Amino acid sequence: MYAALASSPIGAEARTLLPKVETMVAVFYFGLFAMSFDFIFGYTGYLSFGHAIFYGTGAYFVVLVANGKLPLLPAGTPFVVSILLAGVLAAVIAVLVGSVSFRLSGVYFAMITLGFSQVAYVFIRGWGYVSENPRDGAAVSTATHPSGFDIGIPGVDALNLAIGQLTGDSVAVGMVALNGTEVSYYMVGLVVLVCYFAMQRLIHSPFGKVMLAIRENEERTEAVGYEPFRFKLAAFAISGFFAAIAGGLFAGFRRSVAPENSMYFLVTGDALLSSIIGGFGTLAGPLYGRLFDETVREFLSKSGAGGGLLPYLRDHLPASVMESVVYNGLTVGEAINTFLNGHASLYIGLVFVLFVLYVPAGLLGTLRARFDGPLAKRVPDYLDRLRP
Amino acid sequence: MFVDAFGQFLRPETLLNVFIDGLSKAAIYAMIALGLTLVFALLGVLNFAHGSLTMIGAYLGGLLMVVFVGGTTGGLQRLVVFFVAVVVVFALVASLGGLVEVGLIRELYDRPPIYQILLTFGLALVLDELVRIVVTFYGLQPVADWQDALGTKPAFMADALSLGPIAVSPLSLFQILIGAITVAAVWVFLTRTRYGMIVRAGSEDDEMTAALGIDVHRVFTVVFAIGSGIAGVAGLLLAWDPVWGASLPLAHETLLPAFVVVIVGGLGTFRGTVVAAVLVGMVDATMTWWFQNAITFTGLPEMMIFLVLVVTLIVRPQGLFGVAEVGDH
Repeated sequence: MYAALASSPIGAEARTLLPKVETMVAVFYFGLFAMSFDFIFGYTGYLSFGHAIFYGTGAYFVVLVANGKLPLLPAGTPFVVSILLAGVLAAVIAVLVGSVSFRLSGVYFAMITLGFSQVAYVFIRGWGYVSENPRDGAAVSTATHPSGFDIGIPGVDALNLAIGQLTGDSVAVGMVALNGTEVSYYMVGLVVLVCYFAMQRLIHSPFGKVMLAIRENEERTEAVGYEPFRFKLAAFAISGFFAAIAGGLFAGFRRSVAPENSMYFLVTGDALLSSIIGGFGTLAGPLYGRLFDETVREFLSKSGAGGGLLPYLRDHLPASVMESVVYNGLTVGEAINTFLNGHASLYIGLVFVLFVLYVPAGLLGTLRARFDGPLAKRVPDYLDRLRP
Repeated sequence: MFVDAFGQFLRPETLLNVFIDGLSKAAIYAMIALGLTLVFALLGVLNFAHGSLTMIGAYLGGLLMVVFVGGTTGGLQRLVVFFVAVVVVFALVASLGGLVEVGLIRELYDRPPIYQILLTFGLALVLDELVRIVVTFYGLQPVADWQDALGTKPAFMADALSLGPIAVSPLSLFQILIGAITVAAVWVFLTRTRYGMIVRAGSEDDEMTAALGIDVHRVFTVVFAIGSGIAGVAGLLLAWDPVWGASLPLAHETLLPAFVVVIVGGLGTFRGTVVAAVLVGMVDATMTWWFQNAITFTGLPEMMIFLVLVVTLIVRPQGLFGVAEVGDH
């Protein structure tokens, strides 16, 4: 698809606008994290500002296992086993954090979870056991894991495919030839899809209905006979589990982890951005939110390889335009460099503020309201109506 | 070794040094947290962009000091320039805060309080990135200009002052002084002026206050502006401090401890904020001492501050001086 569009007559424009495969992998694993965040924030109404603690737990767990630093888990432990164990560990941490935090609500809940995650962040940043230089994080060396991490069924070699940013398998079956990154795309996507369906199933179960009831009115839920505390705790643990799987995929693909990109509170902030832009309270929304976020970031990035606005303008604007002066000796070229060069946070922040103000339901939520139900069910009917 | 360090810690001069260090940190934390708590008490908004306002104050203040101190070397002249800068920074950041309230936050009063967190969080991203663009465009960082801002403090503040057996940094004393003046001024404003009375009434029950014929929305704007202005002045003070200085990460480095202070003290309580600022400042100073002398764990002071938050919320969810449910938040 990407290749077809990129080699078409509008190739330059397509390369400028469309995300690369590498970006899509990042959209997948971070989208899963944003979904797990939305699972708790969108469906029970509790803003967990320290959700990065679970993402970071997953990421660090996987890297530590791969480096053989954890007892009982040798460096050769299958990747699937290690992300599942990371999920279980995160769920246990979620129960511990949640049992304390869920006595509070609203702003206080957000703050106590933020407090927990900052304690974890500072701890992991200073813990010399993780790596020589914990401030920069830990990486998996190619000596212990030469070929990437296998996703598949442990023990059945034929079903395993390795993921990794620079390593990993490439596959050629008949007409289809996929390079390493494309294999990562499908394998990470597969795990995310499985997790999405699992969470989707939970939300449409009676358990999910209780979560919604808690979001709408906690006292009434209790009066009906459910104990909100237990349900919230269980939802938090499930959410932590999937967040850790997302973190594990992230670390497995990147083969490294740093405190700033796993445990820091701005990581939770990114999940929050994705949820709001995509629409919170819609499980798939955060994935689209993240897609939007990454696309804007790539669109505004300075590196030419993935396409983007800056190289496009540089190549296509005539020199006379680039050198004309806008204001006070500032040429167009300089202005473009200044305002477009990797300042995606600014524009995403602006979009986010506008969404909070004017589109509080987010992309998917608004579409659902427009179509009066989940898109997958409604859109076919609408299309039927358009038929002659 | 640990016992030795403990013995050293309990020596009176060490304790006194740590105490003064703690007070100066407390003064900074109190100044940043006061604005946060004023805004929360009245508007019910937990302002995530507050740290960014402090950061903007630090840059503005640093810029003013570098431009106007220039060649003057006299300590007194520099102090005068500093106080002029205080007024200018207060005015500028306060008007920015006022604009933010009128333009953005006012839209959200009839929505659940979570939206205000979301909005101010997004606003913080935008402000940080705007400052980054300006700073990189003019090539201000990491150029030595901001080292110059550190150098604009009067000469007598640069060297340690020896009072008997202990050595005190005059800058710490100055920070304590400014912090105390700010706290006192806010207290006088709240309890001794008519406008302060309206603010207190508004934070008890804004609908009733509005029913008495007071334009509550204007009060909201003014209080948001005042809170922002105080944060800006705190930033100006930090631009002189070699530990902090004017930098982009300042926004997060000040926001998080300020959150700890307001939550530990009890959201929206003046007394709680001041007490919690002293508490957090003391914990910070003590742990910094232990880190420098006995325990090698780098994150110790920061970690202890957040543990104070967690422990307080576990033991007393409403904070030290908070009432159980402040305005339904």
